[in-house]
Amino acid sequence: MKSASMPSGSWAGRLAALFVGLALAFPVHAQGNLEIDTPAISALRKTMQQRHAQLAPLYASGAVGIAADGTVSLRDAAAVPLAQRAQANAAVAAENADRAALYREIARANGHPEWEAEVRRTFAQRWLERAQPGWWVQQGAAWSRK
Amino acid sequence: MLATAVPLAGATVFRVLALQIAEITRPGLAAEELSVRFDAHAQSGEIAVGRLRVGAREWRALSLRCGRLHLDDGVLGCSAARLELRGRRLPFEADIEATLGPGPARIVLRLAEGGRIEAAIQADGSLRARLHRIRPAATAALLEPWLAELAARLRELEAVGVLDAELDYRPAGVGDASATLRGRIAGGGFGSGDGLRAAEGVEAGFTLDARGTGAAWSWAAQLDWDAGAAYVHPLLFEAGPRLRAHGRFDGRRIVLERGELALDGVAAASARGVFDTFGGTLDTLAVELTDVDLVRIGPRWLAPLLAPASAQRLRLEGRADLRAELRRDRLETVDVELHGAGFGLASPQGEGIAAGGVAEEARAEVLAFGPVDGRVRWSSRGRGEAALQVGGGRWEKLALGAFALDAVLGPAGLRLPGARIPLLDGALVLRDLALGWSVAGWEGSAGAVLEPVSMPLLTEALGLPRMAGVMSAALPGLHLRPGELVLDGTLAVSVFGGWVQASGLRVHEPFGVASHLTGEIEARHIDLAQLTEAFSFGSITGHIDADVRGLELSSWRPTAFDARIASIAGDERRRISQRAVQNLGALGGGGALAAVQRSVLRLFETFGYRELGLRCRLAKGVCEMDGLDAAPDGAARADGGFTIVRGGGVPALDVIGYNRRVDWNELVARLQRVVAEGVSPTID
Repeated sequence: MKSASMPSGSWAGRLAALFVGLALAFPVHAQGNLEIDTPAISALRKTMQQRHAQLAPLYASGAVGIAADGTVSLRDAAAVPLAQRAQANAAVAAENADRAALYREIARANGHPEWEAEVRRTFAQRWLERAQPGWWVQQGAAWSRK
Repeated sequence: MLATAVPLAGATVFRVLALQIAEITRPGLAAEELSVRFDAHAQSGEIAVGRLRVGAREWRALSLRCGRLHLDDGVLGCSAARLELRGRRLPFEADIEATLGPGPARIVLRLAEGGRIEAAIQADGSLRARLHRIRPAATAALLEPWLAELAARLRELEAVGVLDAELDYRPAGVGDASATLRGRIAGGGFGSGDGLRAAEGVEAGFTLDARGTGAAWSWAAQLDWDAGAAYVHPLLFEAGPRLRAHGRFDGRRIVLERGELALDGVAAASARGVFDTFGGTLDTLAVELTDVDLVRIGPRWLAPLLAPASAQRLRLEGRADLRAELRRDRLETVDVELHGAGFGLASPQGEGIAAGGVAEEARAEVLAFGPVDGRVRWSSRGRGEAALQVGGGRWEKLALGAFALDAVLGPAGLRLPGARIPLLDGALVLRDLALGWSVAGWEGSAGAVLEPVSMPLLTEALGLPRMAGVMSAALPGLHLRPGELVLDGTLAVSVFGGWVQASGLRVHEPFGVASHLTGEIEARHIDLAQLTEAFSFGSITGHIDADVRGLELSSWRPTAFDARIASIAGDERRRISQRAVQNLGALGGGGALAAVQRSVLRLFETFGYRELGLRCRLAKGVCEMDGLDAAPDGAARADGGFTIVRGGGVPALDVIGYNRRVDWNELVARLQRVVAEGVSPTID
């Protein structure tokens, strides 16, 4: 079976921060501002960046992919060592809970909670664009390797 | 058996012999339209079977080509044989010796990857077989023509491992047919394509005893899982369980009458159910777990199912009995009895995710309940109920008393007519709570009343300076939506001779890392004498009103608001102590007193004042200060300062602030120092 290893150096952490940071820093000119900063958004960003150290190797191995709906998906659990699959699933669930909170919070901070779906769609596109080569991304219903 | 023999050459010493056999039958087995062609010169031959039936299954057009075929004393020997089915060669080689007519037969099958099956069949149909080092790939190839679905499943699951086993079979005769299979799997494993079902390094021994007639069998099985692990999404299972089971098999369905599983952390585990081998589906399964140790089972199996996103923050303790029923792979009923159970949810703040996904540090729990006793019955088809006695709980620093929960459960929600949760000397009373579950999360509504809680007890519990008064709330419109809890109504505190009212309360992202609260606060007729005494702020007499707009709290710490404090106009006596002046000045950013006033300050203990006012607009960690001058016309003083206290009477002095932008954390630290140590800040 294929296996994923955990990040070994700080470069992985910096890449992770860059990926999350770039995606989070994208401004929506048409409708509000995705860059808007509140303590809640800041707390979410920090947690997501911490978690990215755990998720990055899962993206690289293809175990977890960037889904079209702004979430991440455990698309190939076989790429994770058996004993770590439950942890990988927990990380995916926690990441998706934080992403849902992030989209709501950005819409709320812009004064338009009803923008949540639009924020989610915009972020989904950003995550796809910022995904590193080799990561799996979903467009429509189909998965492909970037 | 009907047979005709046709010597094709010569009358007495034939070169080629052809036999036609209409039918050979054995219990559970029938071969029809057999033909045997024997080439005496080449010592080879072919046995063809037009139709073969085993149990309820049937195959056509089989042929066995023997590398060497001999017939001695009525014993047909066929070695280095290859079997073909409808012209397709099967992946094994066989040696066969069989008595023509009633008599024993011996078969050796040599499979791929060193696998070997030796079988001896007696005249009465009994069979003894040894399976040596059989691997799944070879098994799939062997099964392909006979059990195509099973073979395809084995390949699909990428099964690995080695099987060694012995099979004894006796056909029905005087008694029932019987079969015993004993064996061991080494290095076993499998993985579904998506990896959501998989096993690795499985070492297990098993025994299967079966007894029956025709296709109807009763069986008993034993499985000892010695090593390895399995993942059935989202749960990880590790070696250790011992299974004892018995049931029936009707040729299609495996009926589990009772299975008992010895499992770490569970006193007794049993199951019954029906598995359809044709469809590969679990028709029904009923599982019963008795005396489950939630400390051990909770993190492994309950948290990943109940709260995967918060699994690392969830603590479970106590014991439970659990019964669950599945029908066609779907959960249908759950019945749980809790005995002294406890639940805790740790704070998400400071969540450290180590490489292994384990939180780096223990965190304080934001919510906890226990001990909890009672029963929860849920059904996917209709009404269920929950009747729980909760011994107590904790929300943040507040201890909750014992209460009862009697709720009606639906397939995707619950209704709670009412509950009274004691809180210090008051209680939080919930009415008409209705919650529903959807993919997006929980949604629902309720009404709530906070019966008066005395402020001395509350402030003591929260670690705040003691305050007199009571707190109560009427929140008729509680609404829970994904990511938001709306508390329509007001929370009122009678304190310091006046009252404080909070309204428009919203908890966003409750229990998550982004949890924060927003609302508006009005305080009216607050007696400054009581307030300043409670907070050891010096002494100020008089009364104030305060308004806090756009209050936002993250982890109970203010992150945004626009607050104004203003003394109430009137002819009451207003005095301010030397220390209070110093403290107020410090809040104004230092340098708040003119040099001439500083010398006056040292001469008197108290001063008269006409009015006081302070405004702080907090955003991005900075408090923008303002004073009396901001209202009503907003005009600033010529020197850029703002008046916090305007003196009046004798002696009198003004407190002026000059630092309009104050770091909020620094301001709070100053205040805490003043309150905690009762010391005055230094005045420049």
